[in-house]
Formats: sequence, C-alpha cells, structure tokens
Amino acid sequence: MARILQRPRRADEPVGTDPQSGASAVGSLTRTTGGRSLHMPLRRADARRHRSERLLAAATVRAAIVSVAGVIGRPVRNQSGDEIGQLVDVVARWSDGQTYPPITGLVVRVGRRLAFVDATAVEQFEHAQVVLRSARLDLRDFSRRPGEVMLGRDVLDHQLVDVDDKQVIRAADLYLAPVLGRVRLVGVDVSPSSLLRRLGPRRWRTRPTPDRVIDWAAIQPFGDTSQGALEVRLRSSHEGLHRLRPGELADLLEELRRPERQELLAALSADEAADALEEMEAEDLTRLLRESEPQTAADLLAKMEPDEAVDALRDLDEDERVSLLGRMPAAPAARLIKLLAYPEDEAGGFMTTALVLADTGDSAGEVAGRLADARAHDLDLDAVAVVDDDGLLVGDLPLLTLLLALRSDAEVRVGQLLEDEEPVTVGPEARATEVSERLIQSRRHSLLVVDEGRPIGRILADDMLDALVSTRGRFHFPQLFE
Amino acid sequence: MATPRDAAPVAAAKRIRRLPLFVYLAAVGPGLIAAAAGNDAGGVATYASAGSQFGYRTLFLMVLVAITYVIVQEMVARLAVHTGKGLAALIREQFPLRLTAFAISAFAVANVGLVVTEFAGIATAFDLFGVSRYLSVPIAAVAIWALVLFGSYRYAERIFILLTLVFITYPIAAILGHPNWSQVFAQAAWPHFELSYPFLLLVVALIGTTITPYIQLYEAGAVVDKGIGPEDFKYERADAIGGAVLASIVSISIIIATAAVLAGHGALNSAEEAAHALRPVAGSAAEVLFGLGLLGAAALAAAVVPLSTSYAVAEAVGVERSVSRSFRQAPLFLGLFTAQILIGASVVLIPGNLIHLIVNTQVLEGVITPITLLFILVLANRKSLLGPAANGPVARWVGGIAIGAVAVVAAAYVVVAILGWFGLR
Repeated sequence: MARILQRPRRADEPVGTDPQSGASAVGSLTRTTGGRSLHMPLRRADARRHRSERLLAAATVRAAIVSVAGVIGRPVRNQSGDEIGQLVDVVARWSDGQTYPPITGLVVRVGRRLAFVDATAVEQFEHAQVVLRSARLDLRDFSRRPGEVMLGRDVLDHQLVDVDDKQVIRAADLYLAPVLGRVRLVGVDVSPSSLLRRLGPRRWRTRPTPDRVIDWAAIQPFGDTSQGALEVRLRSSHEGLHRLRPGELADLLEELRRPERQELLAALSADEAADALEEMEAEDLTRLLRESEPQTAADLLAKMEPDEAVDALRDLDEDERVSLLGRMPAAPAARLIKLLAYPEDEAGGFMTTALVLADTGDSAGEVAGRLADARAHDLDLDAVAVVDDDGLLVGDLPLLTLLLALRSDAEVRVGQLLEDEEPVTVGPEARATEVSERLIQSRRHSLLVVDEGRPIGRILADDMLDALVSTRGRFHFPQLFE
Repeated sequence: MATPRDAAPVAAAKRIRRLPLFVYLAAVGPGLIAAAAGNDAGGVATYASAGSQFGYRTLFLMVLVAITYVIVQEMVARLAVHTGKGLAALIREQFPLRLTAFAISAFAVANVGLVVTEFAGIATAFDLFGVSRYLSVPIAAVAIWALVLFGSYRYAERIFILLTLVFITYPIAAILGHPNWSQVFAQAAWPHFELSYPFLLLVVALIGTTITPYIQLYEAGAVVDKGIGPEDFKYERADAIGGAVLASIVSISIIIATAAVLAGHGALNSAEEAAHALRPVAGSAAEVLFGLGLLGAAALAAAVVPLSTSYAVAEAVGVERSVSRSFRQAPLFLGLFTAQILIGASVVLIPGNLIHLIVNTQVLEGVITPITLLFILVLANRKSLLGPAANGPVARWVGGIAIGAVAVVAAAYVVVAILGWFGLR
C-alpha cells in the first residue's frame, strides 16, 4: 500500500507521539516505494524484472501519488486504526505564490457534523484512507480561511487553464504528492479514461491513472467561483499567462464559463486584456462585455483599437452602447462616436483611426518619435500619412522608406521623402469591394480613408482578409435567431 | 467627459444597421425562443392526439403540466443567469461523477427519442404532400447532416423557423372552430383523472412533450450564450415565464381546436386527420399549411436536438474546447451527432404508423423528464450555488410537489406498462 508521509509543518511545532514524525519528505518518499517492492510476492518480483524501466517508473509514480477523487469518501482513521470519520474534502491554499499548493487540512464528517483537521495532524495520506497522527483530536468546526480552496468541491470537475498548452481543461482528477516536506497538489489529470475509472467499481477509484497529467506548475487555477465566497480571489496570476499571445488568450476567454472568464480577465493587465478582446469572436466578445461591470467594459473598449471597439459596440443594444460610451474618457468616446456614425459596411465603418500624421516640414527623427508613442497600435501602423499646413493629404509614407531615410539622415524633411506616387485613398462611403480593388491595384498593405482631402483613417489589407474568411465550420449552440 | 445622456451617441446608435426580422425576434429573449422550439412535431402530434382521443378531458391535467412547465423554465433561467453556466456543466460541477453520468445518459436517451420524433415528423409532412418516407427521410437526414457540418445551416434554419409560425394559427383555429366553451372551462377547472391505460399513456406523453428535457438544456444554453447576468434577471424571468405561458396557450389551443373538430373520433391515426383542426382558419389549404408547419418544426429540431446532446456530453466530459472548434478536431462531438441522425432516420424507416411512433417517443420523454427535473430542482434549491437567488421555502415546496407529481405519474405509467408486458393489466 502506497502512502505519503506527512511531515509536520515546522520543526518547532509540537508533534504527536509518532516516532516517524521527524522523517524528511525525501526519506518518506523513498521508503514508500521501497516498501512496495518488499511486500511484493517473489513471482511478481521476477516478472517485474522484465518490465521496462518506463513501467517501473510509472508504477513508482502511481504509488507515490494520491488521487483526490479516489480518497474523498474514504475513512479517516486514528493511529490505532479506528475509523474517526469520512473524508469529505481536501483543503489547499494557493494564495501564497507557491508553485505546488500545500494541503492545509481535511474536511472530515464525524457523525453528523463537518470538522476541520489541520494538515499537521495528518500522519499518512494513503490511496484509500487517511491516518491521523494522534488518537485524540481537536476537531474544529469547519470554516474556510482566506486563500483556501476545497479541492473536491471547487477544483475537481471544474475548469482550469493549462498555460503551457494554452487550453482550457476540466479536471478529471487531482494528484497529491509529498514535495519539500508538505503534501501538495502536484498535477491534474485530463484524460477521459480517468472519468471511466471514477465511474467504475470502488477499488478502481482509488488507483491513480496518471496517463495524461498536467504539471500543476503549468496551471492557472481559479478560486471558489460559487456565490458568497468570493474572498478566495486570485491574488497573483500565473506568470505564464503574460507570455500568451492575444489570440491565445482570446481562445481561453471564449472557452471559459462566466465566473472563470471574469477571473482570468481580472488576472490580466488592462493592455493585455484589450489586445485579447480584439481577437475574440464577435458573439463571445458581446457576451463578455455584457457580463462585465459596465465601467470595466468601458475601460477595455477605450483601450482597444478603435475599429475593433466600434465593431464590438455595434453588436450591443443601443442603451448598452450609450451607457458604455458615457463611462469612457472623453477622447476615446468622441473618436468611437464619430466612427459609429459611419455605416458598418462602408470604409468609414471598418477603418481604424489609429493614424500617425506628419507635416511635410517634420524631420524623419520627429516622425520616428511619434511612431514610438503610438507603439500600442503597432498592428495598425503601416505607413505615415503626410499632410500639408491645411491638414490636406499629400502623401502616404511607407515605414520602410522612413527607416532607410533615418539610417542616412535623421534630419531629412518628410516632404522630401515623398515620391511622386499619389497616395492610395478611398472615401468614407467606399464599399468593401472597392477597398479590395484599390488594394489589389496598388499592391500596398494599407490605404487611407480621406474625407474632403483630410485623412481620417486607415484600412489594412488584413482587415479585408477578416472580411473574406467566413466563420464557416465554427459551431455554436444554441444559434437560433442569430 | 461625455455623459450617458449625450445626444450624439444616441443619434449615432440610431443610424446603425437596419435590423432584420430575426434580430427583432431575438430581442424577445431565449425563454420565448426555447418555448417556441418546444412546440415541435412531437408536441403537435401529441396535443392533436389528446384532442382527438379524449376531447377536452385531458385539459385539467394539461393545465397542471403547463404550470409545472412554467415553474421549471423559471428555475432554469434563474440557474443560468446567476451561474453563467449551462446545465450540463453545472451538473458536472455540482454532483458526483456517477450522478452526472446518469443524468447525461438519461438526457442522451431522451434526445435520441426526440430525433426519432423529428424524423417521423418530417416523414409525416412529406406524406401529406404525397412523398414516400423511404425517399424523404434518407434525403432529409443527409441534407441536415451536411448542412450542419458544412456550416450553411444558419440559412436553412431561418426558413424552418418561418415555417413553424404556422402553429400560431392554432389559437385562432380553436376560437373559429366553435368549441363547446362551457365544457372546455369545466374540463380545465374540474380535477379529474381517468384510470385507463390509454389515458395514462397520453398524459405521460403530454408531460414528455411539454417539459422536454432538451428544452431545459437549450434554454440554459441560450441564456448563457446571450451573456445575461443577474442584473437583468427580472427581464429574463419575465421572458422565461412569458415564453412558457405562451407556449402552453398554443399547446392547449391545439388540444381544443382538434377536440372541437375531431372529438369522439378515437385515437389519431394520420396527419390528414390532425390537419382538419386547421380547417376553420385555412379551409382547403389546411393540409398544406399543417404539413409546412410540421416540416419546419421537425427539420429545425432534427438538427438542433442531436447538437444539444453532443454539446451536453462534450461539456460533461470536459472536451468543450473541441466543441467551439471545427468538427474535424472533435471526434466525440461529430460521432455522437452522426449516430443520432442515423438512429433517428433508421427507426422511422421501419414500417409502422408514424403518429403512433411520435406519441410513443413522447412517452419515453415523459418517463425521463422527472430525472432532469429533479436535478434542476436540487440545483435551484442550493444556497451554496445560488446564494440569495436559491429557491425559497415556497418555491421549494411548490416546485417539489409539481415535480413530484410528474414523477409519480411517470412511475405509475412505467409500472402499468411493465405489468402489461407480463399480461397483468
């Protein structure tokens, strides 16, 4: 029988009468596996010699870990083997920034009441039972402390984010193992076969099947998402989250359910969140904006690229739109209102207003500085619109031309860099087909939208690509009346 | 700082896109849509059977069923609004895995029954137009499968929805058919139950077709999809209750309209007979009208029902990721969807009376309905899940009694049916 020895939390803590209590975690793990081989019958030991090392390793791992789904509902015994109660749940703490959350205690049903047993009172965590350290126990009524999560109730069978593989998973099982002197949550099982094991007969359920396990270090967990217990909010987010690309974050946001989605959103910085929102499918984005606090939604929209924000606003109802625009700072609100005035299917409706303008008299260095300021809009920067003193468009300066000019002379005037070529432009009421044609003819990556001679926005070739690629094959239930 | 009352954004907002009819319809909310989707081929056939076979005598029980339906829809809307999760996900998170497996399997079985119903509905409709089911059903099965798979289903869907609007004519037909109103009200208000096997069977079918498990999952999914949160709960509640009441009015008027024309006729055997009920509205066009409505309702549900099974199973197993992606990456999802269509179409191809097949599959729904309802009741009672929005003592009792009554009727039917197999009835 495999077991994990629980070491006391601190050396100076009073310990029970157990002579093994001073053993180190590493020692206990070795002893655990050693014990297994000693008790094995000779014939099986013989057969085992022929097994591959991989199987041996797998068996060792299986012996060393405890399945949370399996151990819940199992007896909790004292030193003399008497059953004290039944294990209801395992409590872990993950607010203190440790990679592998330590187990802080157990919820045990004793008679008709739920009691809390601190982790220091646990002698062994076995596959099918928990043995406590002392015969007499101080059973406290269970009340959860901040930062603590009940693994069975709040994590098992719930959604989690696997940051390494950038996917949303549902925990089919959780595995515990001794690490650095404490029993900790080390992995999450995601294989459907583990679900079958849990459905099977009693003796299957306690047997870990770590075929597809994700290291807990790669997991972004969520707190208790049920109502009335929101104090267990995430305090720190997984650092891996910040390495995800906006498109990957958008996928995660689309797949999570509301409470988890809101937690993930809260774990992101405002800029990361806005970038991710730009990549979301329209209907998922609408839902996300609706369910968020209006002020949060307004702030996110204000940070998004104007063309994407306008698309999102168009999908909302009129009163929602007005309320969100009203909560935004004046400048982005005014810009969005102006864009909203253009019909959706005309150039004005799908252009971006993130323009970098230059005067013919500006130096290349000055323009480069302005581009650096507009860094947040990097995806929408393809060229610099050059205007004369009256604000009328005179040319569209590609970034490459500017870059090459900077190499030789940062003081050169922008006006001198312009070639004879007319800038590629359309009016604000141009249709998508006209925009595409102009782009194809000119072989440019973007063109300018011009109203009465003044540049008001830019349309990038990739915006046209978005329009071409339908959402075919992407299925959504229920889709009636959409 | 712009204020919310600024004229500019309002003006801007007003200029934005002209809304097609469907968007207006969508604005009425998921509850109403779910309720409309509930009056499918199975519903129409079962209500018409009730009117034909028992006249107005099922009305009292139908009113009780309708009240239960309203209560359940409200609970489902409340769960979805306050948790932001669909029923399958909630059951997986809130119940032990074995109970989850039980609930989802029951739901899957009920849905396979429904798919059979819908293909039977398609076959019946084409029968009315003189097309053999051996031709219409295989073609319809392949067409629906392909439409959903290759993504152009959304357009077909709109046509089907328009066709189902035919059933809105039933309340008018009920009035124009000059039913015996004093009898209608007496039967609806006077508590009574007939102790006969055909009556019990039809009552279970009425329960199954009115409180279909799939409609509960559908409504929860639609509420979550629309992102309706607790702050909008009072609208959503009105929408859910209103939708359920409206659907019940249509259901009851199908019974009345059919009873007025066919009462005493005996068990309903064909769609032509059922179509007679629309004569007061449509005259000689009644059959065509009825056939089109049936076709729309059946074709719509024949795609959505198997999808809802696949969705629920995928959600419960935890492979949601693949659901929102393409079918190629989702073998479980695709496999389940295809299998259901295959089973549904195959069963209908077995020779036999289509109307009886439809009523019998509704009986299957009725036997499974109490299982789903029990899960919904337990979830809606949970303070740990819903906090202050959980069922209060009154809702607990009323909901418990209503759902308990449904369970008792279903259990009674099962006992009687099993006795029947051994020749003990």
